Amino acid sequence: MRDTGAPSPLNDDDPQWVADIGDDYDMPADVDASFRTVRKVAVGHFVVFLAVVVGMPVLTLTVDWWSGGRLIGGMSPSFVMAAFGLYVFFFALAAAAATLSNGVEERMLGAQEREPADESDDA
Amino acid sequence: MTVASVIALAVLLLAVAVLALVLRPGRASTLEFYLAGRRVGVATNACAICGDYFSAASFLGVAAAVYVSGLDGVWYATGFAAGFVPVLLFVAAPLRRFGEFSIPDFLGRRLGSDRIRLIAVCVVQLIILSYLVPQAVGSGITWELLVGEGVLGLTPYATGVVLSTVAITALVVLGGMRGTTWTQAVQFLLLLAAFIWLAVAVLGSGFSYPDAVSELDSEPLANPEYAGGEWGLATEPNRLDSGESATFGEPGGRYGPFGQLTLMVTLVMGTAGLPHIMNRYFTSPTGTAARMTTVWVLGFASLFYTLAVLLGTASRSLIAKSVEGRPWLAELTVDGVLRVPEHAPLVLGRIYGGEAGLGFIAIGALIAVMSTIAGLLLASAASWGHDVYERHINPRASQRQAVWAGRGAVIVVAVFSAALALGLRPDSLTALFPSIVATMVTWAFALAGSALAPVFILAIWWRKTTSRGAGAGMITGAVTAIGMFASASLVTDQGVGEILLAPTIVAAPLATLVTVVVSLRTSTPKDLDRLWLRLHGTAADRRAARLARLTIAGVGESRRR
Repeated sequence: MRDTGAPSPLNDDDPQWVADIGDDYDMPADVDASFRTVRKVAVGHFVVFLAVVVGMPVLTLTVDWWSGGRLIGGMSPSFVMAAFGLYVFFFALAAAAATLSNGVEERMLGAQEREPADESDDA
Repeated sequence: MTVASVIALAVLLLAVAVLALVLRPGRASTLEFYLAGRRVGVATNACAICGDYFSAASFLGVAAAVYVSGLDGVWYATGFAAGFVPVLLFVAAPLRRFGEFSIPDFLGRRLGSDRIRLIAVCVVQLIILSYLVPQAVGSGITWELLVGEGVLGLTPYATGVVLSTVAITALVVLGGMRGTTWTQAVQFLLLLAAFIWLAVAVLGSGFSYPDAVSELDSEPLANPEYAGGEWGLATEPNRLDSGESATFGEPGGRYGPFGQLTLMVTLVMGTAGLPHIMNRYFTSPTGTAARMTTVWVLGFASLFYTLAVLLGTASRSLIAKSVEGRPWLAELTVDGVLRVPEHAPLVLGRIYGGEAGLGFIAIGALIAVMSTIAGLLLASAASWGHDVYERHINPRASQRQAVWAGRGAVIVVAVFSAALALGLRPDSLTALFPSIVATMVTWAFALAGSALAPVFILAIWWRKTTSRGAGAGMITGAVTAIGMFASASLVTDQGVGEILLAPTIVAAPLATLVTVVVSLRTSTPKDLDRLWLRLHGTAADRRAARLARLTIAGVGESRRR
């Protein structure tokens, strides 16, 4: 996203809405930086997700042990992954991505509202 | 059907009606009717999304697919759960932050075009119909087995279709999104309880999951086939190893080299384009809440599908051993294997809990159908009532008129889908598809993943997406997916046939390419910077959180006084 330079308080349905002192608003440059970081988090996690999901049929076609071996009783590694393992992976990946994205947005957006008044005096 | 089952079903329907009446929107407002005032909490919304998402395809279809195809059937469950990972990464939070009422409304506002809103309405309605019909079929199948009798001269199958459609239409018309949210959340917990009870009963009887897979693996996978005027068992060929027979625990029972991958891509992409699921995100109070809701959904989905796969395996292992001494089961099976695989969890329920057990699982199946139908009807109502009536037919409509337009749309779509379901005969289709309910739902996923999801994700993450690009992409995705389906029956080659039956792997990249190429040649909306701030900024989230804190502090203060 290109930086428009001028701060814009508009971030609501109503185009006439103008921020008052104490209102919450985002600066375009901050949103751009946060958007890029969250996008990196999303794409990074998606690549891991894709590699594992696409890896399943690839392993089926290329590694005999994957489908023919026995891991738990009569269950092959392929069966164990499909019946249990992938769910644990999906949940862990989702929890990690959500925590990271929330953290990024919290750090990068709304900082001006958290800054105490005396901090600006020091500057 | 026992008296206990009838009473349980009646109590359930009564409870649903009472919930809908108690929680019905107090004011005639579209925000209340379609979005429950945007105040649905994380846990409640996660349960409601699960109630919406775990349809007949999940409750009956996944166990049925595992029952028929073994390991290859497990991929349905994996794909259904995996679909929420891209939703969390790319869709949930920005979609909620942008707001609006529905997918067409979101696209119309984001891309600044009424035309794109109407194209999206057409695609959304096609997806909803493709999803509604198998739900109605599932309710017909369940009623047939649970009650076995029709009313008012209807067949048992038709009675199931008509009764479930009428009951849930009444709920949606009365309760709107608020009533539907709470009933879906409660319905999901009942569904989960049904699966947990059955799993505990099966495992408590000494059933060993690993040993069952090992035992089933020792002989070829065989399923009933109607040939030469009689039923018999036919061994399934191994689609990965020609000349060999398929077995339960190894791949090849259903898919060739491409089938597993094409199914996964279809289910993963499709979830992000399902209108009834995406609409639920608009009911979250903030984008962060929408994101965390998806994490909860993945947790619930993991538990639910793990149990569904366990029960599919248990059905395959235990039903064949249970036929002796049970004449009712002999009627449903051919040499110990069920003719209609969707009966698997129901039969297991009857084996372990008698008539009451069958009633409990069948009620679970009806709940699964009803909660999904409710979500689909609401999504359809939002699309017709809000996107078409309010935006185009009567822009000056009062809130009361708009809400009644939505209610009218619910009734029309419900009648149409029930009529289509009545025209289908599921028993004649089981020979063509291993689980007709799961297969039909896959078609809806394919259309959603091909036509809507690519455009949707581009509109959220690529600034240069334009309305003309999105329109061209949606039409390309929809036409390609439908065209590939239609031509699947003409192709005899198995590899090509697998791709044609789950066409997202071709149609979605094509839709993306067309969207990008056309977008690069056309201009973006004028107020793009403002739209982008709304989509990816968190000011509205912080404002909502601050207001919530102030409200809580105010309540605490007034209590102290």
